[in-house]
Amino acid sequence: MRWIICMLFSCSVLCAGVAGLLVGAVDLSLASILTKADADLERMILTEIRGPRVLLAGCTGAALAVAGAALQGLFRNPLAEPSLIGVSSGAALGAIAIIVLGPSLAIPAILEPYALPLAAVAGASLVTLFLYGFSVRYGQFGIVTILLVGIAINALAAVGIGIFQYVSDDASLRTLTFWMMGSFGRATWQTLLPALMLMTAGIVPIFYLVRSLDVLQLGEAEAFHLGIDVNRVKRSVILCSAATVGAGVALTGIVGFIGLVVPHLVRLLLGASHVYVIPASALLGATLTMLADLLARVLFAPAELPVSLITSALGAPFFLWLIARARPR
Amino acid sequence: MKALRPVAVLALLLAVPRLGICACDPVLDSSRIAVAGGSITEVLYFLEAQDRIVAVDTTSTFPKEAQAFPSVGYVRGLSTEGLLSLRPSLVIGEEDMGPPEVVKQIDMAGVPVIKIPETPTSEGILQKIRCVAKILDMSSKAESLIAEKLSPMVAQLNQVRSGASSSPAAALILDAHSGSLMSAGNTTSGHGFLEMTGAENVFADFSGWKPVTSEAILSSNPDFIVVSLLSAESRQPPVIPLQGSRIDSQVIAMDATAILGFGPRTIQAALELAQTFHASSDLAPGYRD
Repeated sequence: MRWIICMLFSCSVLCAGVAGLLVGAVDLSLASILTKADADLERMILTEIRGPRVLLAGCTGAALAVAGAALQGLFRNPLAEPSLIGVSSGAALGAIAIIVLGPSLAIPAILEPYALPLAAVAGASLVTLFLYGFSVRYGQFGIVTILLVGIAINALAAVGIGIFQYVSDDASLRTLTFWMMGSFGRATWQTLLPALMLMTAGIVPIFYLVRSLDVLQLGEAEAFHLGIDVNRVKRSVILCSAATVGAGVALTGIVGFIGLVVPHLVRLLLGASHVYVIPASALLGATLTMLADLLARVLFAPAELPVSLITSALGAPFFLWLIARARPR
Repeated sequence: MKALRPVAVLALLLAVPRLGICACDPVLDSSRIAVAGGSITEVLYFLEAQDRIVAVDTTSTFPKEAQAFPSVGYVRGLSTEGLLSLRPSLVIGEEDMGPPEVVKQIDMAGVPVIKIPETPTSEGILQKIRCVAKILDMSSKAESLIAEKLSPMVAQLNQVRSGASSSPAAALILDAHSGSLMSAGNTTSGHGFLEMTGAENVFADFSGWKPVTSEAILSSNPDFIVVSLLSAESRQPPVIPLQGSRIDSQVIAMDATAILGFGPRTIQAALELAQTFHASSDLAPGYRD
């Protein structure tokens, strides 16, 4: 049964990807691209615009969903979601710092495309480490506590972002505005490369940690006695999820709720074992994000909606439903 | 040398690409124009070339009928495919059109993307019109339109400015309805507009748009506070939180797209404002409302 569902998820990724490539503001027909000689514009739209865009949407969705699932496992808290608990804001702050301060840092041209994603990863790591340190010092987070801490971190990040906006000059303010309006539309093969490398480097190790994450659900002491190197698992999950979230945020801005909705849907269908939750989250996250981006592109064509509007419009009601369900009646 | 080659190739791959062309050279085909920037739309209407427009951005609010064209979104948030779906033969935009990646992609698709340079002076506005006209290969028409409609106003503006005995002190504030007083420092379009009218910007000692307190306005005591309003309809001067202070600045509300767009309308707006400045400077102090 589980395998059938996983197969369905894989098919849905393929379908969403193909739909993302074929549907858009410009009418494309595969037949004319393959047969007509003068279809250069169509070919270019397919390979240079939709190709990187669909790939980025899929990878970011997978990365956010996996990071959400892994963080929920690490904190043993179903509401640990990168944008809710402030990890995405931390990444955004890191990225904005580079946008504003970058010109005065004299980064070598060759490293420039990497500076933004790396700064975002650094910001995300700082927040995750802080959250983890906080939870170790003050005991296990309850569902409410983690949200309150998330509010505080988001507020702090907003202060930082405001300060950078205040001190930035005209040129960097402009870049900042472009970046804050984030969408998958800025994907080009060149900018995609560093982000994809970081996301892969973050997602792959999490796949090897699924058993440990399962055991960790029993509690840290129990996991330790069952032979799990608890500290190593924690460190890996924190760094890997920060890398995936940071890389995604650096290219697209904050895309909310994917990391919350997807792992929950997967758990409803497949049960709580991370062996299934992590890979299935990657598949479903990719599907949903590609579809959300497709909607963002075609709803008001030729203009375009910010994709986070769509994911949040779908995710926020789901979030309310989760809270209502968690309350004792 | 050999060892360096992969590095060089990588550097080439990663090099930041050239973004749009910044020249006024004529293009081959200007029959279908997508516009990103309110002042450019205004210039096209000024040149009576509006029948070539196929799409505008959301800042193109003047003239009103321009809003009937398909919208490609905000000038800094364009979408590559959306723009290309309208099959433009040319994209003209303000200097701040973007995001840069989108501009680059449109360029790669073989559609020329031209950013029109902007200088916030009367001469700069005329240059902008001439630049667009040259691109569309209609320079002679542009010259006669400028001579007929704009040159007299520029001459009048210069006359008002040179006839004035002193230059009034003024502050320019963005729409004050939100409560914060975002003021034009130097390097802003607002500063340029005040200079056009012959006024001294009291906030010229900082750069960019910065929020200032009403106390700061009080202590700099400008003769005029120009408030740029976002909607042309609400010409009512907004309430500036200066109540209770004994400031005797005159508050003047103006349409933001007219004064900060630096299209043809800006010359008229500057002339009107300069006339207001110098008409009331002849009045005795305390006579202002």
